[in-house]
Amino acid sequence: MNTDLDHHPAKELLANHIQGTLSTGVSVALSAHLELCDSCRASSRELEAEASDTWLQESGEVSANDFSKLIKDIVVLAQENPSESRQEEDFPISKIHMHDHSFDLPRVLAKAANDSLEWKRLAGGINQAVIDIDSETQCEFIYMSPGSKTPMHRHEGSEITLVLDGSFSDSSGTYGPADFIVREGEDEHQPVSEEGCLCFAVLDKPLTFTRGLARLFNPLNKYKFRKTTAHQV
Amino acid sequence: MHSEKRDPDSDEFLLMSIGNSQDSEAFDALFQRYSSKIYAMGMKLTRNDQLSKDLVQETMINVWRKARLYDLDRGSAQSWIFTAARNRCFDMLRKLKRQPQCVSADDIWPEGSASFDQSSEDHEGGALTEISLVEKYCEQLPAPQRAVIEQIYTFDRTHEEAAAELQIPLGTLKSRLRLGVSRLRLLIGVDQ
Repeated sequence: MNTDLDHHPAKELLANHIQGTLSTGVSVALSAHLELCDSCRASSRELEAEASDTWLQESGEVSANDFSKLIKDIVVLAQENPSESRQEEDFPISKIHMHDHSFDLPRVLAKAANDSLEWKRLAGGINQAVIDIDSETQCEFIYMSPGSKTPMHRHEGSEITLVLDGSFSDSSGTYGPADFIVREGEDEHQPVSEEGCLCFAVLDKPLTFTRGLARLFNPLNKYKFRKTTAHQV
Repeated sequence: MHSEKRDPDSDEFLLMSIGNSQDSEAFDALFQRYSSKIYAMGMKLTRNDQLSKDLVQETMINVWRKARLYDLDRGSAQSWIFTAARNRCFDMLRKLKRQPQCVSADDIWPEGSASFDQSSEDHEGGALTEISLVEKYCEQLPAPQRAVIEQIYTFDRTHEEAAAELQIPLGTLKSRLRLGVSRLRLLIGVDQ
């Protein structure tokens, strides 16, 4: 079931994001949503303040003796290497061009896209560019061309979709820019897009197509997923 | 922990002293307050003693180097240090898992500890920035000291005029002025 009725990340997910305990793929999706959504950015600041309070209240009954000698080292070390100031970075991929317009990516996605995106055409007018972010998830940009229809599929794990541009709909509703959608396993759906839609998606298990010829892709999908996530420790 | 921001013993004051004048005593104080907390965070997330010690070191190096980027308006010092520790820990774990280095924690949490807001980067700006900076620091002074500084520097009054205006003895005025000015100098980073 869709638990994010208003298409924003649940508070619990945001709280885990603040703790830094989520996979990088999911963290990147949340970070991109926060860049696009003022209200979630405000709540994440509150959560951050709460998290730091809790952190300090928890008993840290560990001797800091070993550390005291570090202080001098740090001061000396840091003076040898004067603080670096970060330059505004120019990312090779800061926009994604679609057939009649282009879209400015949120900064974290521009960074994650690195210097190239390799688009592949899938069935039903869908285009996919996988990016290698971590070993626990498969992260990809999905571009649904106007009038496209994804083959009916099911997720074995969870899938997070962040709509960047345009819109798509499925049996649960219609989603537009900045919408953050979490699908849990066993959800079967068939997204369609009238106007075209650019999304960033994070999957933690491969997709399983449930109808038609697309089922032939299943073994291939599983293989591709294993390959993408192969360098697991 | 120490929430009163004007308190010279507060985390915020210490952090700004490090940022403005590389104050190693202030650093020492923050280190004493936070190292065991950072270590505990490391143990919780990595369950490894050595990694947690590394985390303390990396985080505190970051605090030392980036203290000047800390912006009082953006939140408390404890929250700033919390995000610094979380970011370093996140990157350490990614490195350990040999994950691609295309994104780092500072990209994922751009508003956290490593907040590289333009506003905090133009300290070397022109006179206008300096003045607004001084005004901003003035607001952090205790009200009696602020009132004295305002009388003398903004309204250009003599010590006697100011004492009369504020209805305080001349000696009190002078000591508040001395305290206020030295605190401002510390905040601005002129000297210690």
